[in-house]
Amino acid sequence: MRLGLLLALVSSPLAAQSVRSRLEGRVPTAAVLTVDSLVQVAAREDLPTEPLVQKALEGGAKHVSAGRIGAAALEMLDQLRDARALLVRAGDAPPATAAEVTTVYAALKRGLPAAVVERVVAAMPQAPRGSALHSVADLAAHRFDPDSSASLIIDAARQGLRGERLLDVATAVLHEQQRGHPRAEALAVVRRELPNVPAPPRPARASVAGARRPDAASPPPQ
Amino acid sequence: MNPIDSRIHQALDGELARESLPPELRLVVERLEAAAALLAAAPALAGLEPRVMAAVRRPAPSRVRRLIRWFSAPQAVTFRVRPVWSLALAAVVALLTLVPIDEGNGPMLGEHEGIAQFVGRFPDAQTVHVVGSFNDWRTGTIPLEDRDHDGVWRATVVLPTGTYEYMFVVDGERWVTDRLADRLVEDDFGRENSILIVRTARR
Repeated sequence: MRLGLLLALVSSPLAAQSVRSRLEGRVPTAAVLTVDSLVQVAAREDLPTEPLVQKALEGGAKHVSAGRIGAAALEMLDQLRDARALLVRAGDAPPATAAEVTTVYAALKRGLPAAVVERVVAAMPQAPRGSALHSVADLAAHRFDPDSSASLIIDAARQGLRGERLLDVATAVLHEQQRGHPRAEALAVVRRELPNVPAPPRPARASVAGARRPDAASPPPQ
Repeated sequence: MNPIDSRIHQALDGELARESLPPELRLVVERLEAAAALLAAAPALAGLEPRVMAAVRRPAPSRVRRLIRWFSAPQAVTFRVRPVWSLALAAVVALLTLVPIDEGNGPMLGEHEGIAQFVGRFPDAQTVHVVGSFNDWRTGTIPLEDRDHDGVWRATVVLPTGTYEYMFVVDGERWVTDRLADRLVEDDFGRENSILIVRTARR
């Protein structure tokens, strides 16, 4: 207990210093102060901080004003709170992990109704929900009914599809639509085939051979 | 066949005087002797053999034709190999067949890494970069290339698996959304970011 308290006291200022050093020189000074304070608030509330840092870096790279960067970060902090509240409502035992909060935030940001996200989260209490929510959002982006799309993805998960394979379910539905099926029928066709949906092709050897690593690749935000 | 009277043989061989023969036998002997004389006077058959051989002989085939004939004709080929070498040869063939060959130039991909391919059409661009959450939104770190100068710019990048947002930066200042991307999201600054999901390349 004492060790934990000591680590928290030491690591918090270090983390704040680390955030400032990442932002300085790349984000307007006024925005650095704002975002830094918002990051500290998020850390105190056990919310993920990396999305706030990324949003500030994005704004700085796009030469956005300090005011707009601060406003975007503040709005994001509120949305992260909403995402965590949704996780609690869906039955996740607190504390929610940063990855899960970010996943739900991203799904809401892509326009999925909160009720649909909550349904998917509640239906998949153990598994990571990132791919499932992206799959539903992919279908919703193509004007499929979000609730029906969520039902299909939940069915796919119940039939054993996990992780990235859930993305293939949405891809299969979109292929059926391209073949001329109306949306509801495309969903039904793929549901009948579950859990057999085609996997994407492996990257071609020539592509892998020509690939290079970026110099400043960072860990994924979620 | 009527047997020939033995006195005729004797007369032809000179063992019996011709005058001692009866007139009919003497006539036969004279006919036979006349026939023998005719055969002896017939033209010689000299030159027949060379003419027959000339007709039968063919010109010798050329060296190329002989080579082609040798390759096309079934040949008996015999290898004398020690069994230990044949086993070694079989092992080498198995290795070459079963073990994937590393093509050398590509990076080794980790378990949690994947390949991201970026493609954009910018006919008048001088430079194109991709910028996103995978490189902390640093401009200038991941250039796209237009090797054949057809206006289509490409980059293939190894990234950790995960979800990223990105945009293209053309000529160092123009931010452009990747409209070929399947997923788009508001960037809170008045534009749209593309969403990239990097899946593991080791499946």
